Amino acid sequence: MTPEVPKEGLAGPAPEERPHPTARRDATGVRAGTASSATETPRRTILSALVEDEPGVLARVAGLFSRRQFNIDSLTVGPTTVSGHSRITLVVEEPPGQIAQIERQLAKLKPVISVGELDEDAVRTEVVLMKIRGRSPADIHAVVGMFDGQTIDAGSASITVQITGDEQTIDDAIDAFGQFGIIEIARTGYTALARGMQPTVPGEKPGTADEPTEPTP
Amino acid sequence: MSKQEHHETESTSERPTQTGAEAAIEALEAAGVEMIFGVQGGAIMPVYDALFHSDLRHVTMAHEQGAAHAADAYGVVRNGPGVCMATSGPGATNLVTGIADANMDSDALVALTGQVPSGMVGSDAFQETDTMGVTTPLTKHNYFTHTADDVGAAVGEAVALSTQGRFGPTLIDLPKDATNASTDVETPPPTPPATTVPQRLAPGAAVAAAADAIAAAQRPLLLFGGGVITADATEIGRTFARAYEIPVVTTMPGIGSFPEDDPLALSWAGMHGTGYANMAITHTDCLIAVGTRFDDRLTGGVETFAPEATVVHIEIDPAEVSKNIHADIPLIGDAAEVLGQLDAAMTGPPPVDAWREQVQTWKQEYPMDYVMGPDGPLKPQYVVERLDAATSDRAIVTTGVGQHQMWAAQYWTFTEPRTWVSSHGLGTMGYGLPAAVGARLAADDDQEVICVDGDGSFLMTLQELSVAVREQLDITVAILNNEYIGMVRQWQDAFFDGRRMASEYSWMPEFDALAEAFGARGLRVDAQEEVDGAIAEALAYDGPAVIDFHIDPFENVYPMVPSGGANGQFALTPEQL
Repeated sequence: MTPEVPKEGLAGPAPEERPHPTARRDATGVRAGTASSATETPRRTILSALVEDEPGVLARVAGLFSRRQFNIDSLTVGPTTVSGHSRITLVVEEPPGQIAQIERQLAKLKPVISVGELDEDAVRTEVVLMKIRGRSPADIHAVVGMFDGQTIDAGSASITVQITGDEQTIDDAIDAFGQFGIIEIARTGYTALARGMQPTVPGEKPGTADEPTEPTP
Repeated sequence: MSKQEHHETESTSERPTQTGAEAAIEALEAAGVEMIFGVQGGAIMPVYDALFHSDLRHVTMAHEQGAAHAADAYGVVRNGPGVCMATSGPGATNLVTGIADANMDSDALVALTGQVPSGMVGSDAFQETDTMGVTTPLTKHNYFTHTADDVGAAVGEAVALSTQGRFGPTLIDLPKDATNASTDVETPPPTPPATTVPQRLAPGAAVAAAADAIAAAQRPLLLFGGGVITADATEIGRTFARAYEIPVVTTMPGIGSFPEDDPLALSWAGMHGTGYANMAITHTDCLIAVGTRFDDRLTGGVETFAPEATVVHIEIDPAEVSKNIHADIPLIGDAAEVLGQLDAAMTGPPPVDAWREQVQTWKQEYPMDYVMGPDGPLKPQYVVERLDAATSDRAIVTTGVGQHQMWAAQYWTFTEPRTWVSSHGLGTMGYGLPAAVGARLAADDDQEVICVDGDGSFLMTLQELSVAVREQLDITVAILNNEYIGMVRQWQDAFFDGRRMASEYSWMPEFDALAEAFGARGLRVDAQEEVDGAIAEALAYDGPAVIDFHIDPFENVYPMVPSGGANGQFALTPEQL
């Protein structure tokens, strides 16, 4: 049996003969001028995630950032007041649209209970350990004092100091100790909490409330 | 101690223990699982042993990849979880393609993998693979059971999670000591994790804003994705479209969500979608997208995708909102429930008369058609049309990936959900035959199962024909054989100056003879006039039949939107690319 209707092939005006709207979206799918676009300038911000402390949770978070090409500057993790819950603090640098995407992707991970971006006024701090050449102990001691730091190890060849503060303070301290010769540095990256009684992640209950935080959809 | 307390204590101590493997099977049964597709092997043997006394049906597949695809397709047809099982090491890695496929297409696939005993994990033991590490990026979540006590809960949660919210694959890695050991932990009912509960209803204000945007639109268009089917929203989707006379375009996974013979239907949009679907999606001023992730094969270049449209995006997964295409009005929730909310919020139909006329004009202007003379070579599109004509509306079509897949999607008129079973996001050649096995076992008896395959795709998983023969599965495999890995050949001709590097498949076996060697019915067709007879013979045969259709080797798939191109600028001929 052959087809009843002769088969003539595809028909219709060629591409250049068709009307086409002149409007455009940008590379991130936003119609020009209608919303904030992910092509905007990247912004450095802190995300906090409350997670179930199960094996592999850090690998899941790190793997997510790697496979989705999210830029991550630092990541810290530690226990909370609730047994079995940990807090992961992430410093990321991405355009606003992408930051929202990171939050949503994080929230999809099964061990993630709640995730949120911290406000500008959130309290944040970082620790740096610096092993410095021990030739000028008095001068080093003076600089440690300027930064409200601590000397935590001293030997004939090296002195190890600890400085705590915001990123700018740490950068300044590294600069200041540079004159003595820095042998090694270890920085932790930011850990942070929301200011005052504001919860750090959405829905987070105070540790004094004696009940764990419920997951937020 | 009172008598009663004593009694309770005694009964607790007498609670029957079972092995971790038995707990796994118990959890599957409790979750309503009826069938497992798998392959035996060392580390999974305890679980197989526990199956010995279970009512669960196990279907041995020839290769673990086949087990994953069969389970995936079974789940698609049943709209529930499909379960596959394999041993550690190569068994698990062979499942990986199927898991990745399910992940891309949001299919509820549950994989149980054996693992070396937990004490040996990390020692590079025989058949050890870091299955957790390999599958973490490919699953909604995966579970490692450290002891027999963990197994029942993990398996139940994995099954429940696979169909919670947006469907997707889950995996349970079962060390042999955990499945062999005894446990007196009662297997809890299958419960999804509390941390992943989706939002089912969209906020009222957003729904109202969406209803206003639709009512004010001059050129509204519905875009139904695969999420419409998994959310069981096809009925309300159809009602909604017809109530407001809004034309409907689907994505490829959304095929079957809206009947393609409906006057409002424009079939599917994207790279090889219909001209009229791509025109409509280019010119709409209000795109109501439901259950779709705006894949690049759908959108083409995002700069020119629905560039004038206010986008209303109904989606259960918040991470898909504004990921690829910005949603002006995101409606996060269950597709069926949110469409109900939207319907209730609509104050009246949008003024769509002129738009519907325009859409009809496009349907006339850009008909789906191919060139075929009375004596010319056999055309693949014709084969698809004749298969469609010879089967019922509820017939299930599975495919591999490539040109044959596009022709099947273009020239079969789909009217029912869960009748199109294909590999979309991952584009897995070889999906079709194992999917037909799974679909056959999931389908009703009166549903024909047709695997439209390519010669290259068929060659990748054809060992599963042995399973179809063993299980006496009534499936028809239609190989659209052009002795090329055809889509690659088409691209080489279009974009690589015709240098057909490694795409000529003139070394194909005689598939009809091969089918007979397997114990299936084998047929070969070279000419138009043989098509209907061969189809009738294959359909009448009670068991697997393979028809090797030798088609025009140089037939190409059009219309075509080149990668990153504008949907509205689809090419009808190679010269227009």
